[in-house]
Amino acid sequence: MAATGRTAPAVLVCGETRTCLLPSFQALDGRAAAQLLRLRADEQVSVSERPNLYALSPELLTGVDCRLPTANGAKVRAVGTVASRAALTEGRVLQASAWFSVPSAGPDTRRPWGHYLVRPGLVEPFGKLPEQATAQGVLRGSSRGELDLGMIAEGLLAQLLRHPLLDHKAPFKSRRTHLRWVARRAPAGEGASLERFTLAEDGLRTVELSLPEETPATAAVGLCEDLALHDWLLTTLVHMLDNSRLGAVDGPSAVLALRPAVDHLLHLWMPQAHVERTLGRLWDVLEREPGFTRQWQTLVQRIRDQLAVQAIPLLHEALSTR
Amino acid sequence: MTEAVFQETTAQPRTQSVPLSHLSLELGHLYMEDFEAGPERLREHFAEVRIWVDAARAAAARRTGGRRPRISTCFLIDDYFTRFSTPAELVPVVLAEAERAGLVIDYLARESGCAVADKIEPAESVMHRLVESPPPGSYGSRPPVSETGWLPNGQRTPTSRSAMGEVTGWQPPQETAARNHSVFMDVELWSEKDGQRLWSCPFLAAVWQLARLGLLRHLGAPVLAPRPWNGGDFPHDWDLLPPLLQLNASAAPFSAYRTCTLMPNRFLAVEDAVRLILDQVDVDSGALRQVAERSAREGAAVPAAVAQRATYVFYEEPTDAVLHGET
Amino acid sequence: MIVFAASDKGGTGRSVTSANLAYHRALAGDDVCYLDFDFGSPTAAAVFDVPDARQAAEDRGLHSYLIGEVGEPLRIDVWSDTEHRVLRNRPPGSGRLVLMPGDLSGGEFATGEENLRRCVDLLLRLNGEFDLIVVDLSAGRSYAVDMVLEATSKREMRGVDFRWLVFHRWTRQHVAAAASLVFGKRGIVAGGVARGHDEDALRSVIRFVRAAVPDPESPLWSQVSATQSAWMRECDRDLKQMSSALGIGYTQVLGSVPLEPVLQWREQLITDEDVLDSQIATRETWDALSDLAGRLTDDKYWEQA
Repeated sequence: MAATGRTAPAVLVCGETRTCLLPSFQALDGRAAAQLLRLRADEQVSVSERPNLYALSPELLTGVDCRLPTANGAKVRAVGTVASRAALTEGRVLQASAWFSVPSAGPDTRRPWGHYLVRPGLVEPFGKLPEQATAQGVLRGSSRGELDLGMIAEGLLAQLLRHPLLDHKAPFKSRRTHLRWVARRAPAGEGASLERFTLAEDGLRTVELSLPEETPATAAVGLCEDLALHDWLLTTLVHMLDNSRLGAVDGPSAVLALRPAVDHLLHLWMPQAHVERTLGRLWDVLEREPGFTRQWQTLVQRIRDQLAVQAIPLLHEALSTR
Repeated sequence: MTEAVFQETTAQPRTQSVPLSHLSLELGHLYMEDFEAGPERLREHFAEVRIWVDAARAAAARRTGGRRPRISTCFLIDDYFTRFSTPAELVPVVLAEAERAGLVIDYLARESGCAVADKIEPAESVMHRLVESPPPGSYGSRPPVSETGWLPNGQRTPTSRSAMGEVTGWQPPQETAARNHSVFMDVELWSEKDGQRLWSCPFLAAVWQLARLGLLRHLGAPVLAPRPWNGGDFPHDWDLLPPLLQLNASAAPFSAYRTCTLMPNRFLAVEDAVRLILDQVDVDSGALRQVAERSAREGAAVPAAVAQRATYVFYEEPTDAVLHGET
Repeated sequence: MIVFAASDKGGTGRSVTSANLAYHRALAGDDVCYLDFDFGSPTAAAVFDVPDARQAAEDRGLHSYLIGEVGEPLRIDVWSDTEHRVLRNRPPGSGRLVLMPGDLSGGEFATGEENLRRCVDLLLRLNGEFDLIVVDLSAGRSYAVDMVLEATSKREMRGVDFRWLVFHRWTRQHVAAAASLVFGKRGIVAGGVARGHDEDALRSVIRFVRAAVPDPESPLWSQVSATQSAWMRECDRDLKQMSSALGIGYTQVLGSVPLEPVLQWREQLITDEDVLDSQIATRETWDALSDLAGRLTDDKYWEQA
């Protein structure tokens, strides 16, 4: 949570990650992914090929001067920049994140803009920050006129969706998920922990973290993007299985409906692939309960079993015509 | 934390540094119409500039605590908005007139190099780095600068939108950093014609300032690297002239901690717009850090705000009467 | 697939019919989104019977989104938010049915570059999420019509399939007005071509829907005198000839919706219960809507004439 300059250290980091299927008939390769995420012509898109294909855009900044969302209605004006970035996993799943850090207190007047520009991703409150109320306010969502992380993330997604590389012929329809998160500063001497993961309606998820002071904000972003990616995969696969009406309709058509999952989703499960080592173990609590990977494996097994069952008559046919 | 065993080069960015002088002194920023007026105009220009050059050198020396400052001089020719003559014809005249005034031009630049230089587009890169200073009430709606091509220093007069909507009277625009009263400014960064983007003079001038301040990078590598001149003839086509040519082999580095620009006072509005732009550019953080650290080590720490590193002398333009000395 | 619902004038039952089409497709398992682009008089909340949403959309609807005041327009899950007794029970196997209402106090507005960009962003986004997007447009040659013509001409939208339904009543004036809305000097085709659409391609995605058509063979009219009946047949024949002459004849028609009091007066979705149990709506209407809903995506009906 370190920030440069003569500013109090950040005590809270807040973010939102939006996850969707890339609206393109084919998955993008590394080159195309880098082209898509080239949000700044002069900055490198980071492309990793191990352990999976993962492209990460440069960071963008959006200036804000508005009230912070607060759960108790406290009116706190804040000025600064919100950082945002986009990530593409295996050329298939697109994510946009927006986040900001806040120190516990800030000056009572607005400073020259250059002061904020050299503190990317930092938003300074006027006076004292109501830390708890702000964290809850962010998780609840912004009211009109309050700092809107969702709007910034959505604006970035919209910009990417207009890219000429995308043909808008996605292999299947799917919903977006929104993951809002806050990271409070852990008491001295305590390690990072995942305090809560909440599955709400309409594709909304919220995450509460507690992180040591030295954890950079981007490490928290990376963790939350990883959580959001895998939650989206689960959400999407469950929805596909529901829609396929496995068991209710005849076999071949259900299998046909599940085909896109096999082609485009099943190979994407890889928790912690791009999470900083110190935060990777935060996955453990989700693996214990509810067991993300356990659920994924069950779903995958179910699909594979169906495919196998459907293959039996074909096999039979093939054998009998010999 | 230990270093990871496995590394991927495409996944790790880094920023190369550039050599830096104390001061980049611009001896002129001339447009084709200035050349059209003939060598007398240039002569008059350099004679005037010469006076201020000495002052700028003295000011730089004061800042370095008496040690001899590294100062490089440069001269910018507009070949972007209008094309006139050829380098072969024009550059020797410029050099001769400068020399007559006792001035040495270390680096010669073409303005179009700020738009496209060696197949990269510095202006577009800077455009991607604009982060608008948010007027109060900005809560995250997409900054429209990349759509509209206009960059203000505050809140514009709101326009009425909806049919049957509320009818409101005129409301004034508001400068965000106003002290009691506003000086509102709205700068056009580019225009579009036949699908072609034409960058505005202030925007290219802002790119030029960033280049002189050593703050431009492309994928971590320096932009507008000076090319040495072999002492031969200059080409007959502007496009064949390198975007930045080093004329003086023993010159101090092109980029510098600070810049000083000497120009006729009609450029005042343009350079005010340049400051407005520089104040809203999110400069490459690696380059910014390198310059800050090295200038501090040399006891010549730069101001945090990039626009504050640029100073100007606006002199009275020679009138035709002065030029021709008659009629 | 995006379906734009346009009409020459008011009173064609455009909103209520297109809402019924959305409903039928959702029943069949598609994820459907209905956008109320009738900015002058947003009515969709009433059609779907979601009165609370009407209030909620006061300043968070499509209008507020398009002018940039909110980041996302309000979404209403019709199955869960409707007060309609029947609709509340979402049938198994049905898809999502989402309404994006207009603002209560919206009003028509001139389209600028920014509104247009937001419109494109919204359509692109919904295209990734829904099988069918029904966009109900203000009557006549409106700003809404201009905006979507412009939006669909954009490069970014090239990969998105869209079709137009033009609703008109079965009268001489309406037939003439519908033909003019589409083929007239300032019509949809001319306006589209001016914005860069290919004329043939645009023509091939426009079909007409005849609304409130009295079927002379229907039992409804079995009591009328022989003279009346003959007159009705003659009128019907004349109208068909006229339609043909104006280029909106049989091959350009996707379907007809019978004159149905429930559609005209109640302006709500017709459920199977209205047909089977309370029998206030006729079987013919239900079937017509169902056929029409099916033909929306049946390429056979969209081949070039």
